[in-house]
This record gives sequence, structure tokens and C-alpha cells, in this order.
Amino acid sequence: MDEILRLSQISKTFPGVRALQDISFDLRRGEVHCLCGENGAGKSTLIKILSGAYQPDEGGRIFFNGAEVSLTPRTALEMGIHTIYQEHIVFDALDITENIFVGAEIARWGIPQRKQMREQTERVLRYLKSDLSPDMRMSDLTSGQQKIVEIAKALVFRSNVIILDEPTASFSSQEIETVLDIVKTLKEDGIGIIYISHHLDEVFEVGDRATVIRDGQKVSTYPIAGLSKSTLIKDMVGRDPSTFYKRERIARGEVALDVRNVTGNGVRDISFKLHRGEVLGIAGMVGSGRSELMELLFGAAPLVYGDILIDGRSVRHGSPKDAIRNKMCFITEDRQNTGLFLTKTIAENVAVANMVNTRDFLVRPADEFAVGETYRKLLTIKAPSARTRAVNLSGGNQQKVVLGKWFNTGGEIFIFDEPSHGVDVGSKQEIYKIMVDLLKEDKAILMVSSDMPEVISMSDRVLVFRRGEVAGELVGEKITEENILTLSIGGQKE
Amino acid sequence: MNTHDTSNSTGPRKDSLFKKYENLTVLSIFVSFVVIVVALQLITTGGSRFPTFISPVNIFNILQQVAVPGIIAVGMTMVMISGGIDLSVGMLASLVSIVVALGISEWGLGVGPAILLGVVSAVILETMMGFIISRTRIEPFIITLGGMISFQGIALLLCNSREVVMKGELSFLTTNLIDGAKDPVTGLALRLPPYVLLFFAIALIGGLTLKFTKFGRRIYAVGTNQRAAFLSGIDVKTMRLAVYTIQGLLVGIGATLLLARINTGIITLGQNLEIDTIAMVVIGGTALSGGRGNIVGTLIGVLFLGSIANAMNMLRLPSEVQFLAKGLVVIIAVSAGDISSRISEFRALKRAQVDAQAAAADRMKGGGPAQGGAQTDMQKSSV
Repeated sequence: MDEILRLSQISKTFPGVRALQDISFDLRRGEVHCLCGENGAGKSTLIKILSGAYQPDEGGRIFFNGAEVSLTPRTALEMGIHTIYQEHIVFDALDITENIFVGAEIARWGIPQRKQMREQTERVLRYLKSDLSPDMRMSDLTSGQQKIVEIAKALVFRSNVIILDEPTASFSSQEIETVLDIVKTLKEDGIGIIYISHHLDEVFEVGDRATVIRDGQKVSTYPIAGLSKSTLIKDMVGRDPSTFYKRERIARGEVALDVRNVTGNGVRDISFKLHRGEVLGIAGMVGSGRSELMELLFGAAPLVYGDILIDGRSVRHGSPKDAIRNKMCFITEDRQNTGLFLTKTIAENVAVANMVNTRDFLVRPADEFAVGETYRKLLTIKAPSARTRAVNLSGGNQQKVVLGKWFNTGGEIFIFDEPSHGVDVGSKQEIYKIMVDLLKEDKAILMVSSDMPEVISMSDRVLVFRRGEVAGELVGEKITEENILTLSIGGQKE
Repeated sequence: MNTHDTSNSTGPRKDSLFKKYENLTVLSIFVSFVVIVVALQLITTGGSRFPTFISPVNIFNILQQVAVPGIIAVGMTMVMISGGIDLSVGMLASLVSIVVALGISEWGLGVGPAILLGVVSAVILETMMGFIISRTRIEPFIITLGGMISFQGIALLLCNSREVVMKGELSFLTTNLIDGAKDPVTGLALRLPPYVLLFFAIALIGGLTLKFTKFGRRIYAVGTNQRAAFLSGIDVKTMRLAVYTIQGLLVGIGATLLLARINTGIITLGQNLEIDTIAMVVIGGTALSGGRGNIVGTLIGVLFLGSIANAMNMLRLPSEVQFLAKGLVVIIAVSAGDISSRISEFRALKRAQVDAQAAAADRMKGGGPAQGGAQTDMQKSSV
């Protein structure tokens, strides 16, 4: 048997969530085994178990070369199981050699043997057919080149298994080719590779087998040869739509936001119209340029090319200040770091964004408190008073404070980036209801979401993003999990 | 349903008393201030008959001593709330004093224009640093450290490393407003120069600005979370620049007053001023990380440090010991707040553990009716 790794009946439970359930999986020597699934299907959790970062629940067994093992980050490395995560873990100020040997320097009498380490680095880089020099500084490399260094690091320490998590996210096509070539080289040398990618093209180019995970459970494993993309996609989707939130539909009004050929901040040539009374969903995989587009529209990143029209009038947003004056609101994804002033009170948080709209020099704390109280009651924020600090609230209530901040500006075009991210199920329903109420008041909503049921149940139309561009638009009946996924991972028929 | 239970799970969490009530920090500093003052009073009164620590004449003395650092500490408070710091104030004050002294006694500018020249140069130099700080990602610490060294250089070049003696042209700033008033106990003359009133006026304006103007609110917002402030439409660069400009104005004023008191423009005039003002602001509860603090706290910090220095002078302690004592006061004042908040955090944790155990015991008995209820509610609303 050339089987190198086998997982049997692996489950992982977090407080309140079952992330993985009875997953069985195996990897052979010299094989590329792809893991496929939507955002949040459980791929990352599985990787973390393989790298030893998480311990599986009792009952799960892991075999390495036929022998049962238990994996910790240390033992995983000793067995030669290397995980290369999506985010680069690099030391910018060090050079390639130092990055590879950091923490595991070859030393004699405590003195690092630079020459020896450099030679080994050089050898591996040549083997990877890379023209990088071991002396290059990490900060001077592109993200594609940094990925190569991480792979080189795995090889220097003799790997048996390499796990690649989204190795090509945000790469140019040239860099993608390089990484795929490297994967093929490694495979020929008998290394087992677990390959996670949102891009089906890559899966079909380098993969030998593919395993589909959905909602923490394994759905199927196929040999890639002879497999069709649509079979794979059908397995990745499959939630019961009757469990989705049922939203009231509102008649569509005038065009509120007209985006023409917008380019910059990693997105290219985006055009769409957003009407009053509708939710335009922006779907796509993480890193496909959705939040980047929102930053552009809101003036938080410079627009390279294109036009933005609000109510038919061309606007230039040099900074968020201009966008707020033009009645735009931006409920960001990371509310703790970009939405809230955590140590400040509800009232102070609610007041802050509207400051650009008033000409007064003075603020009256009493008025501010009164406004804060109004929104606390209106949005049913669970806090004793508007003087409660935001840091003391739960995720859902914090999100409502952010909503209060934007409602207070009198804005009309709302950008929701992951509106229900990190909030409990009850607050989620409340936030959806608030969104529908906004539509009834003739406001317009642009909603970025990775939560499939959310996109499907809330959107009137859906734009699917892929690699910084619009891959397609879906309307009405066509808004299905399968269609969205097909567009976002490039699974459509050529 | 059990309403108490739900409010516990989604409502406000137990938090440190200090984080919950910002005023408590100020209050605790004030209380320890009073305790120290009383202690000093007891120590200084023992033995000699006068002058004692809490006496009108000594209180007026302290006010004169702290007025200048106090004025600069008001500016430092704003800078630090915005998330910055300014190490250059001491050398900048020296520079300004030399410029004003030269202007009056050597360049023949006249008193008014000379003072104006000094204040304007302070504003310009601070604004330049603020410009760099607000437009780049370089730490304010580094920029103002560079400023401090350069200002020292400029000042030494201007005065050829010598002192510039004046003939008391600025004495109008040190006139006694209550001439003839006597300490009822000791019979010593009381002095209240105009700059003490100026200090209180500036502190009042600073405090009101921070609390009751949009500008003040934005300083807090920028110091709390720069990215969120930017996305909330606040011009972060302008705010970060403005606090340094204000600091420049206050250093200009402070340096002129210092010159008026000493009557000599000299490089050592502003020495350690940055250390003293930062210490005062920090004792007053302003966070180095920005977003937290106020002028009332700073005022107490100013009086606190000033009183201790004064008392040590009265006790005739050598200056070496005084440095040590001041340093310890800063460390103790700042860590006291942190330690007490850790204690309350620890207590909150204990309480949460007890609650959790009780809840677990409940679940064993009743099967968690509250949770089940919430779930069915949700399903109803989703269908």
C-alpha cells in the first residue's frame, strides 16, 4: 500500500457548533487530493486537525504510514506533515535563508552555519526551478514568490505530506502556473499533497482525487479523471431552501447607485445599477474582491478608473467623508476593528458618523445621549442605557450600535459587508428585519455575504465575483446555491 | 420566561470597575492625592513651625511652580488622547525662550513682536512635526525625538551656546495681582501672578473643548480607533495634525512665561519639561495608547507631581532623591489602576464560574427550558 495518511471517523465539536462529523479521508504517496467545499464547510478545521493545531473529538483515529498516531504541531512536523496556510507567515525583514531556518537554525557551538543553510536553500530553490536567490529579502518578494519560499521551507525539512490551503488566492495567472508546476513536481517525487482551492480549474488541472465536504460532513470522494465539474458542484451545495429566512419583497424604485467600469483596489471593470427598494447581493469566494469594491465605492481606497453616480449625479469620493455626505453608509465586516469605538458609549458611537453632516461646533452631551437612547430603543439594543460602553455588548448588539451610527446619518444607500457575521441566530433575524424595513423606506442595500442562505434569502439580485471581476448576475429563480457556486469557482461550461 | 437569564447572556458583561466608570480612575487618583497631601502636611509640620505644606503661602507657591508645566500638560493631554506623544516640548520651550530673549535684548524687536515671533515659531515647528506624523506611518515617538534633538541644536546655534540675559522686560507677566495680601498664619506676603490664572483659563478651555466640541470628540475617536474614525467620515490626518499645532501654541505661551520668571533665555530652561508633563498626564489617567483621559485628571496629575516636588524641596531632600521619588510616583500611580482592574476582573471571573456551575446544575435537573424556548421562537419567526 502506498497510503501515507488516513483519517477515520474524525469529528470536531466547538461549544455549540459541530464543525466536523465523522470525516474519513485518505492520502496516497505521490497523489494530489483536493478538498472542495463552500466557505465554512469545515475545510479549515480539517486542516488544523492535520497540522496538529486542533485535537479531534474522541473516537477519531489518525494513521500515518499505517500506524496510529496523535498529532500535535510538533509531531506533525516530525512526521513531515507541513501545512502552508493561506496567509503568509513570514518575517519580512529577514532573507529567504533565514526565513526557512528560523527557529531551526543549523548551528555549531551556538553559531549559526550560514553557509550550510544557504546551500540547502539554494538546492531546494533550484529543484523548484525558481530563480530566487537565498539572500533576497522577504519584503522584496511578491506574494507568489513568498509562497514558493514557504514550499521550499517544507522541502528543506523533508516532507511526506504538504497541505496547501488556497495557495493561489490573489495571484496573477503567471504565478498560479508556477505554483501548479511546483505541485506537479512534488507529486512526481512521491509527496502526498492535500490541495484546497476555490478554483475548480486548478482542481481539475493538478488533482488526482477530490473529496467534497459540506456542513462538516464528507459527501463524496471521486477520482478526477472522468469527473465533470457539475457533479462536484452538485455535491458541494444541497441545503434545504425551505429553512431559509423568508423575506418580504418590495417593489423596486429608481436607480440609487450607478457604478460604471469601476477599477482599482484589486477589482477590474465593475458595472452595475442598484435600485431603491432592493437588496443587491454580492457573492463570491473570500478574497474575490467584494470588500475591496465596497472600499472603493465608499472612498476608503483610491478609484483608478470608472464612474460612480448617485441618483443620476456623478460623484467623486475622495474619502469616506464625501461618501457619507452623499448619503452612503458602510457597515463593515470587522465591526470591532473598523466599525466601533469599543471603549466609547453607545451614544458616542451613534453620534460619530453624523458629525460630517452638522455644522455645529459644539456638541451637547445631553442631546447625544437622547439620540443614543432613541436608537437603543428603536433597534432594541440590550443594554441598560445609551451610556453603556460598546465593549460590554454581545456581537449582535454591537452590530445594532453600528446600524444606529449609520441610521443617524440619514443615509440612503447602505453597504452591508457580512451583515450577520459573528452574531447569534436571534440577532440575525432581527438584522434581516431591519434591512427589510430600510427597503420599505425606499433605501437601497448592497450586501456582501459569504453566507449562502443569507445571500439567497435576502437578495433580489446577485452579482457573483471571481478574481476581482463580476463573473455573472443572477435574478429571481436563478439565485440558487448551485448557480452562485458555479460562477464563483469558475465551474461554468466553456 | 426567565427574563433575568436572557439579559445575562446578551446584555452587558461584568467588567472592571475602572473600565466601566472612567471617572473612577480620576477619583482614585484624587483620593490618593489628598492622602499624600495630608501625609506631607504631617511630615513637614513635624519639628519646624513654618512654613507648613498646607498654608496659603505654600499653595500659591505650588501654583506658580506648576503653571507652566500645567499649560503644556493640557496640550500633551490632547496629543496623547489622539494616540500621539510629544517628546520635543522641553527643548522647544528652551528654543522659544532663547528666541524671545534674543528678540528683546539683541534684535531690538520690542516685547510684543518678540513674543509673537517665539510663539509663532513654536506653532510652525510643532505643525511641521504634526504634518510628518499625520502623513506617514512613522511613530510620533521617533519624529518628536528627532524634533527634540534638532530644536536643541537650533537653540544652541542661536545663542552661541550662551545664556541671553534680559533686563526684566517681561516682568509684567509676573506682577502680583494680590499685592499686599498676607498669609493670615505666618504673615508672609502672598503672590498670585497673572500666569497662574492663565493656566486655569487654558485648562478650562482645553477641558471644555475636549468634552463639548466636535473637535474634541473627534480627537477621542481618532485615538480610540483610527480606521473606524476614518470610515466614520473623520479627517484623521487633520485631527492628528491639529493637536500638534495646539501643542505648539501652548509651548510658545509656556516658554514665554518661563522666561518671564527666570529672566534669562537659556538652554536648560525647558530641560525635563517633556518628562514632567508626560508624567503629569499619565498620572491623570490618560492612556498612552490613546482614546482615554481628560483634563480634570491631568489637572490633578499636575498638582500631584507639583506638590510632591514642592514638599521634597521643603524637606530639603537632594534633587537626586527627588528624581527617584517622582519616578516611583509615576510607576505606582499607573500600575495601581491596572492592578485594581485586574483584581476586579479576577472577581468577575470567579463570579462567572459560580454562575456557570449553577447553570450547569440547573441543566442537569430541568434540561434547559430557556434555551429550548429561544430556539422554537426563532424557528417560528423564520418560517
